[in-house]
Amino acid sequence: MAAAMTGCGGAEGNDPGRAYMPDMYYSRAYETYGYNNIDDYQKLKERGVTYNATPVKGTMARGDASSMNLPANDSGYALATNYPNPLANVQLTPTQMKEADRIYQVNCGICHGSKLDGNGPLWKDGNGPYPAAPRNLLDDYSKALSDGKMFHAITYGRGQMGSYASQVHPEQRWWIISYIRSKQGGGTATTASDSAATTAAVNASTASTTDTSSNASN
Amino acid sequence: MIFIKPKMKKTILAGIISLLSFTSIFAQDGKQIFQANCQSCHAINKNLTGPALQGFTERGPWTDRANVYKWIHNPAAFIPTTPYTKELQAQFGGQIMPSFPQLSEKDIDAIVDYINTAAAAAAAPVATTDTAGGAATEDDGTNAITFGIISIVLAIIALVLMQVNSNLKKLSDDKEGILRPDPVPFYRNKIYISLLALVLFVMGGYFVSKGAINMGRQKSYAPEQPIYYSHKVHAGINQINCLYCHGNAWESKHAAIPSINVCMNCHKAISTYEKGPKLYTEDGKEVNGTAEIEKLYKYAGYTPGQPWDPSKATPIEWVKIHNLPDHVYFNHAQHVNAGKVACQSCHGNIQEMDVVSQQSDLSMGWCINCHRETKVDFYNTADSTGNKFYSIYEKFHNDIKTGKMDSVTVKDIGGLGCMKCHY
Repeated sequence: MAAAMTGCGGAEGNDPGRAYMPDMYYSRAYETYGYNNIDDYQKLKERGVTYNATPVKGTMARGDASSMNLPANDSGYALATNYPNPLANVQLTPTQMKEADRIYQVNCGICHGSKLDGNGPLWKDGNGPYPAAPRNLLDDYSKALSDGKMFHAITYGRGQMGSYASQVHPEQRWWIISYIRSKQGGGTATTASDSAATTAAVNASTASTTDTSSNASN
Repeated sequence: MIFIKPKMKKTILAGIISLLSFTSIFAQDGKQIFQANCQSCHAINKNLTGPALQGFTERGPWTDRANVYKWIHNPAAFIPTTPYTKELQAQFGGQIMPSFPQLSEKDIDAIVDYINTAAAAAAAPVATTDTAGGAATEDDGTNAITFGIISIVLAIIALVLMQVNSNLKKLSDDKEGILRPDPVPFYRNKIYISLLALVLFVMGGYFVSKGAINMGRQKSYAPEQPIYYSHKVHAGINQINCLYCHGNAWESKHAAIPSINVCMNCHKAISTYEKGPKLYTEDGKEVNGTAEIEKLYKYAGYTPGQPWDPSKATPIEWVKIHNLPDHVYFNHAQHVNAGKVACQSCHGNIQEMDVVSQQSDLSMGWCINCHRETKVDFYNTADSTGNKFYSIYEKFHNDIKTGKMDSVTVKDIGGLGCMKCHY
């Protein structure tokens, strides 16, 4: 009996071990990322579940209303030049700035560097595994880049950089941009000239966007 | 554009110097110009956003250096002039290289020099860097065996000595004429038998209860995954934050498996595994990292060097390791975001694992124990850190101040309530 019980217990390698009541332990209900190692459990594919599923057509995630809707290519990037930043005149609170720092370090820092110098652990002066040099976010090129173009690059990707739309919410993207501007030293002032015309032309619709996002950030 | 000006000064200077010196200095300067202007999109021997530049001076219109100047100064204008460039544009998804009118012809020559020297250096055979540490030492296993052998030998010696002792005693008794009953052989000796029974009972009981307790627990479960993904390489060596891929752990119940586009953020460019240590499966078989990345490309429907269409991707069927029964509710955001619990507290040193194995048994006692011991991170008005939610427990603070309590545990704020997990 001792031998029998010893054989029952532990899991090792590919063997998940045994359970007293498997139909209680391995849920009959559909679970996120179910147990696809269990033979009689329906496999993900057969259930039509994919990790790459895009939102149902005609639906919109919360907070996506203000998201940019431009073509993902060069022409969209050019159009984004004058896309208004809803946080252009909003000063992030220290708590928000701390959160922006966290989001930047998690998502951007690996390439663009924790100090924004374009020398993250994946590049490491060319000694990292990444073959392309990430942009130094403190150089003159980045300082001159408009907020809208930055937002386009984060949303749709640019060059070797992929789209981060699935990883950072639209509002977080604007926070990241504010964070980068604060590290660049000029605040949002540098972009004021770039998108001065647009800022002046901010109409009722964008004003309402600004309202919602500043409310949400409170 | 203003930002190139200092660079120009430098290159003019370098140009003057180069009149007196060697091309290597030229190439050195070319490296700087290349890194500042080209490297975001071009690599020497790999197609990135733009084509690989190795030996480009022997391709298409670039055999004529004047064409190279024209191209770099205004690519958009040059494209329609030759079929080669038109084809190139189609191959790279219609993207047009930005123009670099600020680069002088000397700068461009320096870049070309650098590309040629770098390509030659890359072509030279690289001494294979053999990283030691493949054969992991199994100290624990061998130690246990050694100790086992030693104790068995000692036990045999003890038995022999006891036997010798009783024989000697018998001899001396015979000599002195003391009569003793015939000795009972040890297998019929009641003391031995009862001792053996006791030992068997204790050992049997230990293994039965251990086996019974472990049923339904999956500690050290380390299944083979469809792609050999090393957390050590990603989270350890390359310092990618856990939340980069498992971002949902911050804001949802599930830590979530990243979708393929997250893998492809980096792996569109990183198509080979070269710089890291050698990889091994649990059985000690060596793994070809580059082949594993190719597996990812198959799932993603991606051909290196071509633009990627994410809609062609098919899911990777990762095997779930950490399972909780249906009647237990566990929320990642509650622990990672609100509780600020490090991933490693439950998942072990995941940044050192090539193959992930379950480190905690995820038993109720294990959960409860942590809830008993974890101190609550109260809101601190001075530096606005901590969790505001618990400010209603101001009373505890006051109790601590007045010395009624010395600390507050999760238990005190409902952390042992059945409904926390069973709902």
